[in-house]
Amino acid sequence: MSAASEVNLKQTLRKLEFPLCAKEALNKIGELICGRITSIKNMDLALDLMSEFIFCEVDRRGNKRSSPLSALLELQLLEILFEHFNGLTNEAARNTVFLSLFSGTTALQRAGILSKLVSLAIGIPSPAILTSASTWMQQLGCTSAHSCKLAQAIVHDYFHLVPSAADRMKILPDVAPQFTANFLTAVAENYFNSKKKDQPYPSESLLQTITQWISQNAHLCIAAQQKQAALPPGAIAMEATTAIAGLIRWCTLAPMYEQDSQLYSHLHLALLNSILEIPHTTPPKAICAQHLATSLRFILLYSNKTGKQSNLQLALDRFAQAVQVALSTKCVYGKIDDLIHQLQQLPFNKLMSIVINTHKECK
Amino acid sequence: MLSHTTVIRNAPQQDLINELHTFIKGALKLERCNPLDLTKTALRLLKNIPAARAALFEYFSNVFGAAATNYIQAIETEIKTGELPSHSETDEAVVTEIHSVLVGFIADNPTAWAPIVSTWSLELLGEISTKFAGRAHLSTNLNETLQLWMNCRATKILVDINTKCLSSLMHSDTETCINALLETSIKHSPNFDWVVAHVGSCFPHTVITRVLSVGLKDFCQIKSYEQGSNSPKLRSVVGILGHLAGSHSNDIRSAILEMFLWSLQQENQDVDATKLQKKATVPFILQLAFLSSTLFSSVCNDMKRILSVDIIYKLCPFVEDWCKYFGSNEILEDLLLTLIASCDNGGIQIINVLLDCITVEHHLNDPLIQSIKEKSLEILQNVVYRVDESVRTDKNIELLTSFAHDLDEVHKNLLSLVEVRSQTAAQIVVFLGHGNPSLLVRSLSFLFQNSQTSQHLSLLVKILTHELINKTVWPYVDKSGYFSVVLEQILSKNIEAQVNKNGDNLTQMWNNLLTLLKWEKSGRVSLLNSQIVTKAILTNLTHFTAVFGNETLHVHVMSNILTDLDIPVSSNMDNLPAEVILNLTQATVNYFFICCHEEGTSQKAKGFERINRLLRRLCTHSKVARVLALRELLERALFRKDNVLFGAKNNGTFDESSEKLLLKQNKKINKTIPLTKHSSVFNGGIIGTGKRKLHCLNDLPPEVVAANTSELVNAIKSCCSLSEELEMKFCDLSLDSVTLVSLLLVQFVSPDVMYNGLPWPDEEFSKVTIERDLFIRRMFTNVPVLWDLLSFVAVYRPALCYCSVLMRALTATLIHQWKSTGEQSKSNFTDNYKSLMTTTVKVIDVMALGQLLPPPLCSIRDVLPNLKCFEIVAILKDCIWTYMRDHIPSPALFVGDANGIHWRDPTSSRPAEVYTNTLRIIMQRNIDTLGHMYAQMFINIPKLE
Repeated sequence: MSAASEVNLKQTLRKLEFPLCAKEALNKIGELICGRITSIKNMDLALDLMSEFIFCEVDRRGNKRSSPLSALLELQLLEILFEHFNGLTNEAARNTVFLSLFSGTTALQRAGILSKLVSLAIGIPSPAILTSASTWMQQLGCTSAHSCKLAQAIVHDYFHLVPSAADRMKILPDVAPQFTANFLTAVAENYFNSKKKDQPYPSESLLQTITQWISQNAHLCIAAQQKQAALPPGAIAMEATTAIAGLIRWCTLAPMYEQDSQLYSHLHLALLNSILEIPHTTPPKAICAQHLATSLRFILLYSNKTGKQSNLQLALDRFAQAVQVALSTKCVYGKIDDLIHQLQQLPFNKLMSIVINTHKECK
Repeated sequence: MLSHTTVIRNAPQQDLINELHTFIKGALKLERCNPLDLTKTALRLLKNIPAARAALFEYFSNVFGAAATNYIQAIETEIKTGELPSHSETDEAVVTEIHSVLVGFIADNPTAWAPIVSTWSLELLGEISTKFAGRAHLSTNLNETLQLWMNCRATKILVDINTKCLSSLMHSDTETCINALLETSIKHSPNFDWVVAHVGSCFPHTVITRVLSVGLKDFCQIKSYEQGSNSPKLRSVVGILGHLAGSHSNDIRSAILEMFLWSLQQENQDVDATKLQKKATVPFILQLAFLSSTLFSSVCNDMKRILSVDIIYKLCPFVEDWCKYFGSNEILEDLLLTLIASCDNGGIQIINVLLDCITVEHHLNDPLIQSIKEKSLEILQNVVYRVDESVRTDKNIELLTSFAHDLDEVHKNLLSLVEVRSQTAAQIVVFLGHGNPSLLVRSLSFLFQNSQTSQHLSLLVKILTHELINKTVWPYVDKSGYFSVVLEQILSKNIEAQVNKNGDNLTQMWNNLLTLLKWEKSGRVSLLNSQIVTKAILTNLTHFTAVFGNETLHVHVMSNILTDLDIPVSSNMDNLPAEVILNLTQATVNYFFICCHEEGTSQKAKGFERINRLLRRLCTHSKVARVLALRELLERALFRKDNVLFGAKNNGTFDESSEKLLLKQNKKINKTIPLTKHSSVFNGGIIGTGKRKLHCLNDLPPEVVAANTSELVNAIKSCCSLSEELEMKFCDLSLDSVTLVSLLLVQFVSPDVMYNGLPWPDEEFSKVTIERDLFIRRMFTNVPVLWDLLSFVAVYRPALCYCSVLMRALTATLIHQWKSTGEQSKSNFTDNYKSLMTTTVKVIDVMALGQLLPPPLCSIRDVLPNLKCFEIVAILKDCIWTYMRDHIPSPALFVGDANGIHWRDPTSSRPAEVYTNTLRIIMQRNIDTLGHMYAQMFINIPKLE
């Protein structure tokens, strides 16, 4: 596209009022970046259109706008985005526009709108948007700060503000299993991940919903790995991280932080079952050894502070069970020997020593 | 699977999308729609699509904003046209709908919703307040603003929602709530203050503390004084606190105190900003106090706890820094003075702190302490000067009002031994007294009752005579001045208290009164030249004398006062009301007996002296007093319990349980019992147990009895004394009075009203009167003081004449007794004989003293002991009785000489032979023993010249 037509396009769009210009811009952006051959130039133009006509971040001269969109206009924008993405049947094209809208340098700036859009998609619900969101998470990394932030927003919306929406959340794995899997991974990173004593713990309803999801669907955790996301041409697909390691950390650390809800036991059982159900792949990709080892430093920290012995043993038991099951199903990748080495430094636990010894013998 | 769920979820999905669509259209006014329906849609969305909440709240803001606009416009229209426009029902409905849903959210899930809703409502309130600031004739007065907005449905609901949020979060997340509140407050200050004030009254402690600290932070930034007093932040702090001060004065006080104490703790690790804040705390508090009187008074209330000398010492080094907040030292000082003067609560505490500083002891020559002392004195003087000025110009000054509330504290200071303290207190009392005489009287009474040193008494005098005290205020001027009223109050209270048996200890008061009176009488205290003390006592004599009569503890002091007073004062003799005279007389007599009861001390001797002086003055002044005094003295000395003082044998105290009384026996006998029944109980005793024994429980030693008797006679003499104006060389008593004494004696001693006349009948006639005679005789035996009284009367001739009946009765019983005494008894000198003889001699002595018996009959007393009984009978009968019968003992027998002395010339009144023959014959028969007497009586008789 030439420079003249570029200006022309902008002029045309500028004649339109918001939100019509946003609607039109979305279409144009789709055309610009979903073509068979996309140039850097087109990409740049698309980004310009986004910030000027969709998110209204800059004015026509490219200067930053002082006042962002009002909440009502933002809601209107959300509606447009929702309708647009919901209406796009081409998954690849949808993911392409979605990713370009919400990633890159402006990801942080637009995180608010993104989380609202996803939240809206859960509330309505819209599988199409949720799939795109799942791809977005996967591409940025499920355990990345962006994903965690999105998960946090969703949890706040549906588990804190509107607990009555629990029913809608229950069917989320049916609506969008990949999204749910990636959401779980991100959520798992948000809790039991701080040395602070007064860190927030997952709410009862969140815990209950997660336990229910995993118990009912053993494949949920690896759902994102089972279906390849449709990506824009030329993009490198990122492997999704599963929630298993993160959630095992929850179950392991919960007794030590005196979170003695019965649900942790249920969750632990469901997780073990899920691990057993993981299909054998070569190379294994379900659980990363380093990811699994994150619990260890918290356990060590706790044992140094001479916490309650029974809690510590319960934690070690759970962890040993998880490690044993994971190793036996051969779904762990990464530096397994390092993991075993770290396990040996833990306070003594009968089960754990058996696990370690068994592993050594197997070698 | 995916398509399956899509189908299931299709319906609600479509619904929600449509609703969202409708809402956006409606909210952005792209389509017209019913606001109530729109709101309901919005609320439904809020429940289902949390992502839309920001927009939804924005919409609610618009709704509330519109409602507020309508409200304000309605008011403005009303003001303009005077008509009340109909208010929008839709607004009401919409707002109420939103309210109920939001409140439901908060109640169900406070931790999640309260912060969101709270922030939103605060923000919105702030915007609304700012938007309409100055509209609808809004004044800047916080209370009026509050009133205006609380009348608006929309804002009222917002405030209510906000309060609910805060209260649900208060325990978990206080800091966030208050911060949000204050941040909004800062953003929209001062228009938002009413919300803070309202919220503050729901959570006073937190809000107050925070508001104060925000104010302090702002105050620290101030560069100049003008900027300081005009700072909008400070004003809004003052406004909020001022609003809260009404109902949460205690919280404010404790918060300010906390802040102050915090500022005192200088810690090394403090950040510079904190240090600055700590330094600015005191100026900040001062500034607050200056800007709001309510705040000031709540601070003042606790001055005692806040300030002490130690703390002032600590604070001293910072004064330099403080000055910079106010501009200069002088401005700070002036501000302080203005503040102190306008303190309407606990002002005395400020004065006390100043006084503490002035009087603080310092061992080392600490220049800091020295300067504190000097400065405090200067401030105190300035304060006093200000008050003085305002009092003189009749301006109302709050400090004085506060003094009036804390009068007790002022009183404490009055009694201080430190001069500057008591002087200041006296000054305060004077200031108070200038406008409020009743307070003056209260303070004076206190001082008067409690002052123990002459220093304090002199303060009292100074206050009384101070130029600022208006002495012509009615009704005080009618009651002879303030001091008189003071005395009146104390005395009347004392009388009441005596009734209730819980009187204060007034010893100090009486001593003080005496001291004051002495000062006045000494004439050396020029302030007392107007005789306020005397006047006061004279005005209150009625109470005074009443108290004197009922008191026992302080009688000595009181009598001292009365004596010093020299009442009845000659000039106002006629002014003394009868009641006073009667009270005083009665009381003096009472005092006499109290003195008699007392152990021998100088107090007692002085007491008698004063009694005599008082009685003399009283009785010469008033006849009534004389009659009363004499009657009281005699009656009590003869009949009451007091008679034991004069040697009386009280036969009233029978042990009734063991002994049978004839009276009781007689009472038992009723008509049906025959009178002939033998009774073994007689008046004199019970047959079989011998004569009834007298119980003399309290036998006083004879010398005491003698002393008492002589004092009694002295007292009676004082009563009978002549008025000083009459010059009488030879007679010191008024004969009328002595006659009165003798008549009283007859009245008291003789039980009968008949045959009490002067003439002696035939001796035979005594058979008729024998019972009465015996009664009289028994009186004389039981109450020996009667003899002394008779002797006294006898000396002042012819008063004894009126006691003729007593003489007659005694003589008659004696004749009777001598007749029945056998000869044998003489040889044994029995007790009976001896007492009979003594009595006989006494009777004749008295008659001789009274010149009723002329010589030689008057010498019979010396003859009798040597005679036999029948001879005695003969002499008594033939000489004495017959002589008396024929020479009626009447004043007519006596001749008054030029000096007013009545007497009978023994040479001219010798009895005829008829009356002396028996005596002579008997003496002749006993000439061996009575020779010398005979010569004296019958031979060497002085002849008429």
